[in-house]
Amino acid sequence: MALGDVWAVTPTGLVVLVNALIVSVVLVALGAFLAHGKLTSDVPEGRQLFGEFAIGFFIKKAREMSDGHDRAKVVGVVTPFLGTFFFFILMCNLIVLIPIPIVNRPPTSFYSVTLALALSAVIGNIVLAAYFKGGLGALKHLFWPNPMQWVSEFTDVLSLSLRLFGNIGGEYMTLVLVAAVVPVGIPLILHVLGLIPSFVQALVFTLLIASFLASAIHHEAPKQKKAKRSWFHRKRSEPVAQS
Amino acid sequence: MNPVFMALVAIVPIAAGAVTAAFAMRLISVTALDGMTRQPEIAPQLFTAMLIAMALVEALCIYTLVVTLVIAGKIVV
Repeated sequence: MALGDVWAVTPTGLVVLVNALIVSVVLVALGAFLAHGKLTSDVPEGRQLFGEFAIGFFIKKAREMSDGHDRAKVVGVVTPFLGTFFFFILMCNLIVLIPIPIVNRPPTSFYSVTLALALSAVIGNIVLAAYFKGGLGALKHLFWPNPMQWVSEFTDVLSLSLRLFGNIGGEYMTLVLVAAVVPVGIPLILHVLGLIPSFVQALVFTLLIASFLASAIHHEAPKQKKAKRSWFHRKRSEPVAQS
Repeated sequence: MNPVFMALVAIVPIAAGAVTAAFAMRLISVTALDGMTRQPEIAPQLFTAMLIAMALVEALCIYTLVVTLVIAGKIVV
């Protein structure tokens, strides 16, 4: 294949691009709608409540990995990173429910899309680690404590992309094959069953990125000397027996 | 090559992968459910850990699926 063919516009590539663009536009519009209007720091209601409910999980995840760093900085950077991946993949998976023939092909059922997502996730992890720990710290994570640690980054790309592609692509393939045999009734059941993997795979992708990121930006606390404890100042850990 | 032989070569790995992944998932889900019923207050944490573990197991099965799809694409009848 010549290099020029990579940039050639094919029908399949057009479907991927258009569907991914539709998802992005819908997500941006939804975000703008939810953040529009008065925001309060009191008890939220209406749109703000829904928006806070949607990103609350990722804020919790970001807080868990912020030990030893500036918490506001970590939450402010990591939450959008995780949330974007989750909602983009979720919407890409759920686009199969739209009853319009060409638009309902989920972009995540193409390997190129999942590979791009996984690559951007892993490179983003390295960039974020460099942002929080400095370039040297990020480099150290690739070669320490295991000198071959950098190999695992590549296998992460492979496993993340193949998992998402296998689940969503396999589900879509099953749907198409069954709909060709029994076009009425059975595809509805398959759609309902397909809601579970489309949600779980988006969640799993995000959780795995979060755990990789947590191990990448983990702050090693300096070793502390153990305090000397004399035996008579020892705290009683066992309850005193009542006489 | 004989298409029947090629079809067998494509089918056997995915069957073996699915069976072994099913056994591993059974172990994961039974253990997680056991923990959840013993201690319902940490059920959400257990559920997330269970999902991650299941995804890691499932990835191995997906690899065999990809290999199967590659082989199945080469069958010429």
